[in-house]
Amino acid sequence: MSAAADWASAAAAAPEARAGVLRALRRDPVALAASTLLALVVLTTLLAPVIAPYPGQGRGTADVAARDLAPGAAHLFGTDHLGRDMLSRVIMGSRPALGSAAAVVVLAVLIGVPLGLAAGYFGGKVDEGLMRLTDLFLSFPPLLLAMVIAALLGPSLVHAVVALAISWWPWYARLARTVAQSLRHAPFVDAARVFGVRAPAILARHVLRNALTPILVQATVDAGTVILAIGSLSFLGLGSQPPLPDWGLMVSDGRTTVLTEWWIATFPGLAIFVVALGFNLLGDALRDVLDPRSGR
Amino acid sequence: MSALLEIDDLAVDFVREGRVAARAVRGINLELATGEALGVVGETGCGKTVTGLSILRMLPATARTSGRIVFDGREVLALPEDELRDLRGRRISMVFQSPATSFNPVFPLGRQLQHVAERHLGIGRRASERLVVERLREVELPDPERTMRLYPHELSGGMLQRAMIAMAILCRPSLLIADEPTTALDVTLAEQILRLLRSLQREHGFAVFFISHDLDLVGDFCDRVAVLYAGRVVESGPAAVMLAEPRHPYTRALLSALPRRGRPGTPLEAVPGNVPTGLEEPTGCAFAPRCPLAEDRCTSAPPHLAPIGAGRSVACYRWEDA
Repeated sequence: MSAAADWASAAAAAPEARAGVLRALRRDPVALAASTLLALVVLTTLLAPVIAPYPGQGRGTADVAARDLAPGAAHLFGTDHLGRDMLSRVIMGSRPALGSAAAVVVLAVLIGVPLGLAAGYFGGKVDEGLMRLTDLFLSFPPLLLAMVIAALLGPSLVHAVVALAISWWPWYARLARTVAQSLRHAPFVDAARVFGVRAPAILARHVLRNALTPILVQATVDAGTVILAIGSLSFLGLGSQPPLPDWGLMVSDGRTTVLTEWWIATFPGLAIFVVALGFNLLGDALRDVLDPRSGR
Repeated sequence: MSALLEIDDLAVDFVREGRVAARAVRGINLELATGEALGVVGETGCGKTVTGLSILRMLPATARTSGRIVFDGREVLALPEDELRDLRGRRISMVFQSPATSFNPVFPLGRQLQHVAERHLGIGRRASERLVVERLREVELPDPERTMRLYPHELSGGMLQRAMIAMAILCRPSLLIADEPTTALDVTLAEQILRLLRSLQREHGFAVFFISHDLDLVGDFCDRVAVLYAGRVVESGPAAVMLAEPRHPYTRALLSALPRRGRPGTPLEAVPGNVPTGLEEPTGCAFAPRCPLAEDRCTSAPPHLAPIGAGRSVACYRWEDA
């Protein structure tokens, strides 16, 4: 009973908190920096072909005459072993990075959240079955799974995304399960049952709505982690294949010459670092702002 | 006339780890006619809420129910899930003790009522909005069009209880279960809510299963009263006569424990002892250990509920002395 009361008092502040989210985010300097940064990244992604000084080279066209040029006025980030402008490559590389991160997170949420909600709400055998399934998937090391899939189906960005989504959804299932468990006997859920509302409608309206906040926070933090993971897979040759502009692939290209042509590996590496950091900071800030117990 | 609701030898046990952990209801018989208000009274733990919830089959999974509950010719305890859901909220609805937690805090009030209307009446959003406005007006909430867009935390407890009642009468049910509907409210508000319930009942003719610990309140509101003790009915009968002239020592004790009935300057009376815990099975009358009139036979064999005329029944050997 006390948990329900506690919950009710916390959630009573929800509508006001939501209205104030943007304001609260603006007040927090770290959150402000992170969201500005990510806004710029998203803008860059959308306008990549327009901003990139050499969009063709960004996509992969070689210019052998201009190989391995150090950063300078014509090429701010220098050029790679095939003479492609690194700035254009990094800018164009934001597309597969953000696209695959979004795809992995969306897939993981779509698979994990319904299963988790059902497990937590129905409990008993449903819960038992679904959670063992979840444990099964959690026991696959993501990189190993990606390698198996790459070996079976051939390496590609799509396969890497699928592999990551398969090993990622259990976390969302667990998260959604926790919320559903805490709400399955909330008075308003019982009230909905008393008034004849069906279980799917109760889950969709009453339980999911209350799970959205933690899911949003988790998804934001995860987007950064997925970008790192995709980078790792591409670096290992299990993700994007040349000539696709992928940051992990570029780091891999530049790794043998990192002491002489340092710019080839450094700038895409920095891009991964900055974007991942941005998502992490924004996720943390969102958690602080959206959690009514944090006392803002 | 056949009864709208018939509870026949209802027993509810709660099990834990395969063993009976508590016996909440131990064989209750109750009848409720169409449009009648029945008050179910007793101390905490006497089984009144469990009985109310079992009418809607809302007991937790650990409950083991036996007996029969017949509502409008249908056996509730044997009803398939989907038919049960059609019954809930449409033919039988419920008003809860704590309106503040019975609404989801993240939705506007009106939407939550609309969901129920759309679910049961198969009507669209526009029609459900009109219906909700109409019902909110019936429960005398000011400015229904605006009120329905408010979130639960923006309404006071009394307003929320009115909204709860609006939700309960949304589909014109024939039975309303009210589980201590005024316990969480101020005395003045409680009066208003009761008056509202009564006028709605008069107008629409639904039956009320009124659960309360307050005999006076029940006496005001209900046609008949059943007093529960340790999972059994110990006395039942028409409200007015029964409260004026209680025949079971427990009813008498409950009445004299009401502050309003006490005389100023005299100490408030309490019923000595405690309600027996849910597991032990007394050989005699469950109330005997606390009863001022108890004698030898009371502890050796339990008295059974027996009619004493004028529509009244009592489960006591010494009812004539009470």
